[in-house]
This record gives sequence, C-alpha cells and structure tokens, in this order.
Amino acid sequence: MKNTMKVTAVAAAVALLAACSSGGGGATASGNATGPVKGRQISWLLSRPADGAVITTMKKIAEDYASTHPGFSLNLITTPDRPSYIQKYETLAAANKLPELFDTDATPFAQKLAKQGKLVDVDKLLKDLGLYDSYRANALNYQRFDDGSLYMVPMQFELEFFWYNKALFQKAGVSVPTSLDDIPAMCTALRTAGVTPIAIDGQDQWPLERYMSYHPFRTAGPDYVKTLKTGGAKFSDAAGTAAADWLAKLGSNKCFQDGFASQGYSDAQNLFTSGKAAMYNIGTWELSSLATDKLDPSVRQNVDFFRLPAAAGSATAANEYVATSGIGMAVSAQSYDPLVKDFLKFALTKYPAAYAASGSLSPTTNVKTTVPGNASPLYQKALDEANDLGNAICFPWDTQLDPTTNTRLQQEETLLVQGDTSASAFIDTMDKTLSENAPKFFG
Amino acid sequence: MLPHRSRKSVLVFLIPPLLLYGVAVLFPILQSLFLSFFSWDGISSLRFVGTTNYTHMLFGDDVFWRAFRNALGYLAICLVLQLGGALLVASLLTSVRRGREVFKTLYLLPAVISTVAIAYLFARIYSIEPVGLLNQVLHWVGLSGLERSWTSDVHTVLAAVSIPEGWRFLGLYTLIIYAALLAVPQELEEAARLDGASAWRVFVNIRFPYIRPVWTTTTIMATTYGLRGFDIPYIMTNGGPGQSSELLTTYMYKTAFTSTDYGYASSISVFIVLECLVAVGLIALLYRRKALS
Repeated sequence: MKNTMKVTAVAAAVALLAACSSGGGGATASGNATGPVKGRQISWLLSRPADGAVITTMKKIAEDYASTHPGFSLNLITTPDRPSYIQKYETLAAANKLPELFDTDATPFAQKLAKQGKLVDVDKLLKDLGLYDSYRANALNYQRFDDGSLYMVPMQFELEFFWYNKALFQKAGVSVPTSLDDIPAMCTALRTAGVTPIAIDGQDQWPLERYMSYHPFRTAGPDYVKTLKTGGAKFSDAAGTAAADWLAKLGSNKCFQDGFASQGYSDAQNLFTSGKAAMYNIGTWELSSLATDKLDPSVRQNVDFFRLPAAAGSATAANEYVATSGIGMAVSAQSYDPLVKDFLKFALTKYPAAYAASGSLSPTTNVKTTVPGNASPLYQKALDEANDLGNAICFPWDTQLDPTTNTRLQQEETLLVQGDTSASAFIDTMDKTLSENAPKFFG
Repeated sequence: MLPHRSRKSVLVFLIPPLLLYGVAVLFPILQSLFLSFFSWDGISSLRFVGTTNYTHMLFGDDVFWRAFRNALGYLAICLVLQLGGALLVASLLTSVRRGREVFKTLYLLPAVISTVAIAYLFARIYSIEPVGLLNQVLHWVGLSGLERSWTSDVHTVLAAVSIPEGWRFLGLYTLIIYAALLAVPQELEEAARLDGASAWRVFVNIRFPYIRPVWTTTTIMATTYGLRGFDIPYIMTNGGPGQSSELLTTYMYKTAFTSTDYGYASSISVFIVLECLVAVGLIALLYRRKALS
C-alpha cells in the first residue's frame, strides 16, 4: 500500500498547495521597483545543464555583484531533467512559492501566470533598463506569448541544423536534400549502403516532434500551429495530413536508428559523432561537440550542416527555420524588489559579453562570439548563420500545444514512425484529442 | 486478556501511529476524493464539475482503460515472477545444504539496489543499438530473428518493464516464504514420506497448507506493490511507445504534472485506491474460502 499512499499523497499535497495559493493574488507585474537595495539571497530555479555556459556565466556575474553588495547571493536550483523541472515549477506555482527567478517556456501555463499578475513584464523591464534594443528580435519573439506580450528574458540563442556526414552521403550516393520530400528516398539509399540515416533521441520525444512541425512550417507557414493549438485548424487539414504522411514515410523508409524510441540524447549524439549515422538534427548548443577537436578526426573532417530543407510551394524562406532562444528566465512579480531589479540590471548588462566569450551565441547583437581555439571552420560558419535569419520562426510544437494534446502527439507520432499506427488513424486520434483539450486550455 | 492498566498503555502507544496514519494516509485520500469533483490546473480557482471527471474516466478516456489493462498485465507478470519464483526458489533453498547463505544474499541483492540503477541496467540489457546483453545472447545461440529493441516494440515493452520489477522483489518474497517453510514441522513431512507420499503430494498437502497464512500476506503485499508500480516503467519508457507500457500510476502522474489537470488526476488516484482495496478484499476472500474448504 506504500505507493498507493504516495500516489494519493501527491494529489493531496497538490490540494494543500491549492489552499495556500488562494491568497496569492496580490502580486503586481509593475516591472518597476523603487527604494533602497538591501542585500539578501535570491534564488533562480533553473532547467539548464549545471555546467552549461548560462549557469557558469551567471555564477561569475553574481559573485562580482556580491562583492559590492554585502549579503547578496544567488542560489541556483538546477533541475536539468525537463519533466522533473516542470513538476517542481508547477507545484511551486500552485503553492504561490515561485522564487525570484525561474525558467519557463512561453507555454499556456506561463501565460496563465502572467495573466494572474505573477510575472514581471519583461518588455517593460528591458526598456526600463535600457537594454531592449540590444536584443535580437527573433530571440525576443521566441519568448513572446501569442498576444505579443513578453514575460521571459532570453538567455541564449540557438539555431537548429541538420548536421551530416559527407563521407557517408558519398558512400550512399546522395546529396544534400533540397526538399523535405527528398529525405525519405535518401534514407532508403543510406540504408542500402549500410548506414543509419538519422540519429535521433526518441526517448525525450521533443526531437521527433520537431519533424512533425517541419512540413507544416514550410507548406503553411508559422501560423498553422498557432491556429491549430486553439482548435482553429485541424490535424486533418492539408498541412497536418501532409506532415503525418511525411512522418509515416520517414518511418517506413527506416530513417531513424533501430529502436530509436528507447534511445536517449547521448545515444543519438554518439551515433552521429562516431560516424555510424549520416544525419543529426540538433542546435548550436552542441557546437563544442560537433565543430571542435573534441570530435574524432575521422568524422570531424566530414561533418557539415544544412538548413531545414524547403518543401513544394514553401510558404517560408530558406533562412527561416528553428531559431530559438531556449527556455526563458521569468521574474516573479511577488518578490520583485529594488535588489532584484538592481541585480538584473547588473547581470543583464554584463551577461552578453561574458556569455559570448564562452563561445556561445548571445541573445543580443551587441557582442561578438569568441570562437574557441580548438574549433574547426564549421564553428564560425554556424555562428554566421545567425546574421542571415528571416523573420519567421519554426516554433517547437511542444511549447505551443496544450499539454494533454502535446503528450498524446508525442506518443502517437512514435507509433506512426514505428508503423504501429496509420497516418489516418494518427490524424483521427489527434483531432479527437485536440478538440477535447484545446477548448479547456485556451477557452 | 490484558489487565486494564496494560490495555490503557497499549492504547496510548497506538494513538501516535494512528494519528500519523490519519495525516499521511487517510487525509490525503479524502483530499483526493474532494479534488476529484473539481477541475483545477493548480493556479486558477477550483471549479466544481460534479462527477464529470469520473464519467470521462470511465466512459470517455481510451488511455485510462489502456492503462488499466496494462496495469493488470504488469501485475500478472510481477506476481508470476515474484510469488511463483519465490516459492520455487524458497523450496529449492530448503533442499540446499551448502552455500545457502550465499544464495539468499544474492537473491536479496536486487531489493537493495536503487530503482533508477535497475531501470538503467535493464534498459542496457534490452538495447539493440548499441547491442545489449539479451540481444547478444540471442545472437550467440542462433536466435538472431528474435533480436529487437525490447522496450521500443509495442508487443514486448510491457513484459520488458515488468520483469525488472519482478526480479527486484524476488529475493524479498523468497526470504519470507523460505522462513515460513522452515517452520513446517519436519515430523509431518517425514511421516508423509514414510507413507509413500511423493514430493509433490508433500508440498500440496502439507507444506503449502502450513504456510498459507504467510502466503496470503505475501500475495497481498505483492499485489498492492504491483498495482502501484510506477518508477521502473516511468524511467525506462515513460509509458511508451504510445501507451504500450502506460500504467494507471504513470498516467495519473502525467495527468497531474504534465497536463496540470489535478482534478482528473485525483479521480484516477481514487480509482487506484479502490482498485487496491478490491484486490486485497478478493485475495483475503479467496484464501479464507480455501482455508475453510
């Protein structure tokens, strides 16, 4: 019975938190705080790698700030595993116990928090601090809710490419695809040559969901998912059906490694970096693994990348693809005070240069990324792509759909690619799930 | 019968654990029951929806019923491995004269290993890329046709996540049953053997009836542990692919913490509580009838 107790205790804990949350409506989203700066500890609830550039950079900045502000310290609470993080974040939100700073995507849940006045208006904050104009428009736009409001500070900027192994392409007699529809045939050729076509982290499900978003982004543009998520469009529309058919083809042509559904992030990375897989769809956060001397020399000299291919009658341009500013940093309105404001001013002013010095792409345009000494020419080539971006962003669907529809989509697309369900059954299931859940969430 | 003063002492000492039980178990159950009649996302106000959550759960949610069927399959595999395996191993242990302690320790070892470690261990055993132990063995014995990614295949994943759970507690139940078997009077067994009873007859007519009370308790423990199975399937497959290894517990967790539908998750948790109570009641009834007959 022990676990039954646990299971019920979880629900009950949530119930208790509900009682606590009822009194939490007094926070304001003023984005302004006046008065003396008094040193104390502030916390940042993070969903980022503990040894990643964002945390390392902010730690150093916080130490510098603390040296001139006695009593100040930044408590970094890291939970890199995203599902665990979301559980922690949502439970704290329910209890009205969110810390001063916390990570969140521009999800419907975060939008509810913003509507309840629990988040500081970042649009106002950045303008107030005189930093707004230094940010990349795409970095800010990625963090915006559908109504254009901005409540998260972008801390990074990443471009997602298809990395590929030129030697394996040559072995299979294939070239860089010019259209998404070329990829299934490429997979067949690569398989015939004894090569795994695409390495993917199937366990975490978001990487496969990217593939679901590509076809509609090219054929119907970025608005399709925005309309779809509220029930204004359907999966059974032309864009959705084409996406499902394309995913099914990727599956039937064995594009992904065998048993991909239970393969994790490092499995996929290893498959590509060891030269066993021909393609790998990942962002610039992996530049240090893909474009430095850390990569095995035999693979390093053969690695290159291409952007998201077009599709017949593309509604979006070649320089428009997945360009995200990652999970954003929200500021709790409840604990926003002169100290938090002063620290944010200090940190966000210093951050871009320090972050760029670590070899990462800053969300701002006022600094130049330092290319590490051990980098291959590919490193700079990838960075330069940030200067040639279009305006439309291919939004990851996992930050757009309501959570229940998103979970079901992630489950069903795996079945679709594995051939355990048909494209038409997939569409029917998803439309039913969407019609049941979108109105509840966005209504 | 205890003297009056002793009974009073017993009651005094029983009250603190009873209070703790009430706060840690009964109160959360009642809270869940209360929440199950509401729609609540954790940050908005509670909205009373009557029995809508239960109606949807029982009549409109295909994932719920899939998870329920999976939970029963998971339970069946766990019980076969844990109880069947434990009875077999415990019986064999009574026949072993040398190295018994070594065997007992080895069988008990999985019970003290962390769940996360077990999940990752089995994930590697089942893997196809890179090739894991199971597929390697199949290859070596010439059964390459059976090689697959056991946790990606919708036909094998439920068994694949059940086996680690069964393996984990095999040693624990073996020890419990072994201790019960040791208490069986040797003279009874010897008398039966002198009368010409086979080993099977001795087991069926003497050993098993003698350990029946312990067996009933063990069955209840294994069943409730099986019905609340969560961690290993969640870590290994997150309920997938699709809903192939989704259990009621993993579905409840996702409903609460991914879908932020705490009201509906509470109705699933109430169902899990009832399911456990019904299972315990059925087992107790079944064994009582057998004992009477």
